[in-house]
Amino acid sequence: MSVCRARSLSLFGIDALPVEVEVDVSPGLPGFSIVGLPDAAVQEARERVRVAISNSGYKFPMKRVIVNLAPANLRKEGPAFDLPIALGILAASGALAPAGLERAAVVGELSLDGGVRGIKGALSMAEGARKEGLSRLVLPCRDAPEAAVIGGVEVFGMRTLKEAVEFLGNGLRRAPTEPAPQNETDDSAADDFADVAGQRYAKRALEVAAAGAHNVVMSGPPGSGKTMLARRMPGILPPLTMEERIEVTKVHSASGEGNGSLITHRPFRSPHHTVSTSGLAGGGSNPRPGEVSLAHNGVLFLDELPEFGRTTLEALRQPLEDGHVTISRVAATLCYPARITLLCSMNPCPCGHAGDKRKACRCTAGQIERYQARISGPLLDRMDIFVDVPRLSRQELRDEPSAEASAVVRDRVRKARATQISRQGSPNSMLSGRKLRKMCVLAGDAETLFSRAVETLGLSGRGHDRVLRVARTVADLAGERGIGADHLAEALNYRRSHLLGR
Amino acid sequence: MEDSERRGERAKHLFLSHLQARVGSSLVARLGNLSPGAIFETPYADLVGKVGKDQKLERLFDGLQRRFDLALVEAQMKERGISAITLADEAYPGMLRNVPDPPPALYLDGAIPEEPCVALVGSRKASATGIEMAGKLGRALAELGVCVVSGLALGVDAAAHQGAVDAAGRTVGVLGCGIDVVYPRSNRALFDSVRRHGALVSEYFLGEAPLSWRFPARNRIIAGLVTTVVVVEAPEHSGALITARHGLEAGRDVWAVPGPPGVRECRGSNGLLADGGGVLWDIPEFLEAVAPRGGAGPELPAPSVPADLPDDEAAALCGVGLEPRGVDAVARRSGMVMSELLPALALLELKGFVHRDAVGAYVRRAVP
Repeated sequence: MSVCRARSLSLFGIDALPVEVEVDVSPGLPGFSIVGLPDAAVQEARERVRVAISNSGYKFPMKRVIVNLAPANLRKEGPAFDLPIALGILAASGALAPAGLERAAVVGELSLDGGVRGIKGALSMAEGARKEGLSRLVLPCRDAPEAAVIGGVEVFGMRTLKEAVEFLGNGLRRAPTEPAPQNETDDSAADDFADVAGQRYAKRALEVAAAGAHNVVMSGPPGSGKTMLARRMPGILPPLTMEERIEVTKVHSASGEGNGSLITHRPFRSPHHTVSTSGLAGGGSNPRPGEVSLAHNGVLFLDELPEFGRTTLEALRQPLEDGHVTISRVAATLCYPARITLLCSMNPCPCGHAGDKRKACRCTAGQIERYQARISGPLLDRMDIFVDVPRLSRQELRDEPSAEASAVVRDRVRKARATQISRQGSPNSMLSGRKLRKMCVLAGDAETLFSRAVETLGLSGRGHDRVLRVARTVADLAGERGIGADHLAEALNYRRSHLLGR
Repeated sequence: MEDSERRGERAKHLFLSHLQARVGSSLVARLGNLSPGAIFETPYADLVGKVGKDQKLERLFDGLQRRFDLALVEAQMKERGISAITLADEAYPGMLRNVPDPPPALYLDGAIPEEPCVALVGSRKASATGIEMAGKLGRALAELGVCVVSGLALGVDAAAHQGAVDAAGRTVGVLGCGIDVVYPRSNRALFDSVRRHGALVSEYFLGEAPLSWRFPARNRIIAGLVTTVVVVEAPEHSGALITARHGLEAGRDVWAVPGPPGVRECRGSNGLLADGGGVLWDIPEFLEAVAPRGGAGPELPAPSVPADLPDDEAAALCGVGLEPRGVDAVARRSGMVMSELLPALALLELKGFVHRDAVGAYVRRAVP
């Protein structure tokens, strides 16, 4: 008998599915073939495995070697099968006791000298192993701390093929790798709101947005500080829960951006406006997560919103609505999570100076209309907060009292978000329909004010809901259970300006 | 006795006004200073020697002479709630009486204010800067108690009227059609505001259509009613330049707002400057020249704060001025914290004390 089985895992989206690596070594003309829907990277494993085995001091069998990756209908990608294939061959040729392979799932890429290289999606692999009931996972040393975080699976990091053979052959005499220490991010070095003089209105709007996870559009002339404000947004976001950290790390790890430890702060992504549709939403023939998924549980910042391609922006509608991106290919349909806070900046007109006191705008009404029509109505409908960021003169900047530090703001945001989660299990931005009516009960005078506002300002049905959602967040920031007239009135300030239509 | 005599005179002027509305205002000149009475009474056949034979004119003349019915005209005016003043009335604006070719009668909805008047005119397709300038000037003049006269067209005219209305000042719109005809239609709301803040004026009787030759003609009335004509932005061959020319002929001051050289939209107004018009490069300086106030500062005094406002809204209102200001500037001037200021501003907006413009800046409004 010479069929040996090694257990491994394959990344599918951000989830790992079990794959069995079967190796048969039989007499015949020496040869090496891999079957089971492998892609090019898996095919190349033949050369890497052959050389790595000889360079590790073992003998590659001079027989007919057939490797089957089961289930055969699942497309296998990437170099992470190198290590299980090599171990399977060694077991089948007698260098390693086959029983050793039964004890653990194995993933890892090999280098020619027999070393083990890092892989993508280690955290997902560990989670997949746990789901499959495998109690141990052997993987590259670099990725072990990240994978250990998941818990429920003993994780062992390997540096070389030889080390793995000895470990599995000698009955696992070794302590599992400890989870990576989760150093709470030290934000003192990060960008702080205290560094931004003035712009108290915009800062307040961002605070409300951070508390309720509302999508924001900032509009203002060039040089008014929109980008500067946006970069400071992560500093006031509420901390990630453990579950959210794992989700974020899984996405980053699956796209190969992981750094071997758990991500503890909310991601902030700011793609350039030349980004392609699949770059933003995810996809490609080897699908990988797009910017919108990499910003999952964090902020996606689109600077100069009207410069983005219209079709590119339209791809954001599904994630903004459903919280995930579905990518359909002939081979399979993948789903990446994408629950984001969208933060956009734009100029009010093509020249950027409409409403600027210091420089006249010479755009005609038609030009301004065309410029703003580049952003589709459905996308704007998903935006809760619109804030104008004027350019300040040097005098105005000098007169400004010193600003609040991000840490102070984040404290308020954290409390308000905790209130929302305990009340309805989601941030206020997700409220809609009946749930919205139920959670946003207006006190007597607020009701009167609201009907008056609807009449005077001509609020549409959607505009009506937006104001309610934002008012709910303002009330949460103030620590009030009911929405008062003041909270509602503040929310009215964040509605869309007439320049953008109603 | 005297009353019926006056009625008779009015009738003759109203007749002449109806006639001019059909054939243009040069008729009197062609008749060689014939008095309105004489025109009313002389049949066309006897006038032929002076104006030459013209079948259309003859038909008009005869028809009008035979069918002109003072009682009917007065009944129509009464029904619409408008009035007419003719050259025979003492109430006829003195400034206008002295221009060459004054209209024989003016139909009014509202009343022509006693205050000094300034005309703000310009292109219908002005740039954003031009429109903004017209609004600012309208507001500033109205604040000083000067009546803003313009033509209720799109662009500069509309912005000037709106500025005066926003500052709760007086404004008069002079039309090139009957005053019950709203043209252009998109100005409907503005027509009502102007009526409430002053008057709609026309030399054409009710229901007369906005024919293209009537607009240049009405410009002489704009120039006649005012002491000063300001051209905000005008290309060459603009109606605003006709107003300016009428102003010069009537001895009015003519100012123009300088525009960038070489820009087609500003060639007309810049041309006026080259010909020696007043250079309106600084609003306070212009105001000082038009309506001297005696030593007041360049900043216009803010309207007072109503006493019945709650404290925080009153404080916020103090921070909002007549110039549009961003929320941060309002916060600085009022000394309020943002979480208190934002609700106060929204409430003030709902109550109509302030207006939020397209770029989110706040400005004081005349209380409705």
